[in-house]
Amino acid sequence: MGPLDDQVVRADSLTATPDGLDIAIYTHWYRALPLPSLARVDLTVDGERIDTAALSVTVNGHRYAFAELAEKGDEYWFTTDPAVVHVPIETAPGRQHRVQLLLGLSIPYILTGPDRVPLVAPSATDKTLTAA
Amino acid sequence: MTDTAPGLPRLGTTLFSLSLEQRKPGRDFANLVAEVAARDLGPGLEMVAFQSLRGWPRPSDEQISGVRRVIGESGLTPSCLAINNDLGLYPGRLLSDDESYEYVAVQVRGAAALGFPVTRVGVETSPAILERLLPLAEELGVTIGVEIHAPLTIEAPPVAALKELFTRLDTPWLGFIPDMSSSMRAVPDAVDDAHRAAGIAPELTAMTKELWAEPGPTMAKFPELERRAAEAGATPAQVGNLKMLFTMHGKMAPEQWADFFPHVVHVHGKFYGIVDGPDGLTDPSIDWPVVARVLREQNYTGFISSEYEAHAYSDRYNAFDQIRAQHDMLKRLLEAEPAVVR
Repeated sequence: MGPLDDQVVRADSLTATPDGLDIAIYTHWYRALPLPSLARVDLTVDGERIDTAALSVTVNGHRYAFAELAEKGDEYWFTTDPAVVHVPIETAPGRQHRVQLLLGLSIPYILTGPDRVPLVAPSATDKTLTAA
Repeated sequence: MTDTAPGLPRLGTTLFSLSLEQRKPGRDFANLVAEVAARDLGPGLEMVAFQSLRGWPRPSDEQISGVRRVIGESGLTPSCLAINNDLGLYPGRLLSDDESYEYVAVQVRGAAALGFPVTRVGVETSPAILERLLPLAEELGVTIGVEIHAPLTIEAPPVAALKELFTRLDTPWLGFIPDMSSSMRAVPDAVDDAHRAAGIAPELTAMTKELWAEPGPTMAKFPELERRAAEAGATPAQVGNLKMLFTMHGKMAPEQWADFFPHVVHVHGKFYGIVDGPDGLTDPSIDWPVVARVLREQNYTGFISSEYEAHAYSDRYNAFDQIRAQHDMLKRLLEAEPAVVR
């Protein structure tokens, strides 16, 4: 909740590639977070829910399968850098896609409840954009 | 840099205030620092390491010299480097004490390399870890301060444990960093913008603000808030946003900051908006006249870092202008004749 929610997926975030749709996302948290903080990426493209097992993510020039992110505690997603989510769907430059994303960032220093579980900060996006 | 009169708290800015500015095209660390200086919003400069420095907690030597050069050329004085103890780094477990120590220690070394005299950690850094960090802090000449932020107050058990630790160790290298979010007199109006954008009915926001303002401990009001919000048809996500108002805005009496002395090592001048009142600039949600009086009475001469946080709720105000207004207000309050002690 806040002004950064609208910047998670930007007007120029979609790119068509030979192996699918790239979506550049930007963090709605104010500081860099370690990659395991990308705890929840609930993504629906054109009404089709995308299983996270099918996703890979490029951060700092390295491409990881989504499940690998949980082990990359020594790498950080910087405040102003995109993380590119690779979605294996058919697309082409100029094609429009409806992108619905619930991004849940695990905030590793804000521990909640008696079990001291990290806060998950959600940000919801629903935009229809054209792929470059 | 314009300073307050000798013997008074000094003013400054944390780059956290400029979280939205940082995202604008053409912005970088160097030009944000330069603009803080050009607008005379020092002399103190604070930043959140993980927010401002790509590659933290392992900056290169070249990056360290670059940061030092930018700050040096600006004429600002490094006041505090905010660091983090990411205990929940990995899913399903918390860092062990050894891991936590190492995670913080490397950042304290980084703060020293960058030339910051004080570094900030959160209350998740336990007294045992702080005690273990003390020799390092002493060796490096970097004071480690634990931020006291809403919902913490003087009554919170972790705060009592810290006070006991600081009293027992009697050291200048560990202490408190009061954040005014713990001692607010009203929920800021800026939340209205965020709630409107999140589809929360204005009546729900108003109800939450009224409940917040009623007497009694905030923590005890959560069930009542949930009941009233559910009755009014709020979704679970909206109830979460309403509860966040209780968590982010504490109601401790500002006079109680006196009880944190003599262990205060830095102050966060948290605020959500300064407005023109009948008697000049005023803050509707934080009682700065009382805070300024407490800091003066305690002979505090460290920095108050202006920490504008309404950017989390609204982008309609200019953060630089807001900090200017807060500095003008604080300078007047701090330099006024000492108030009569009540």
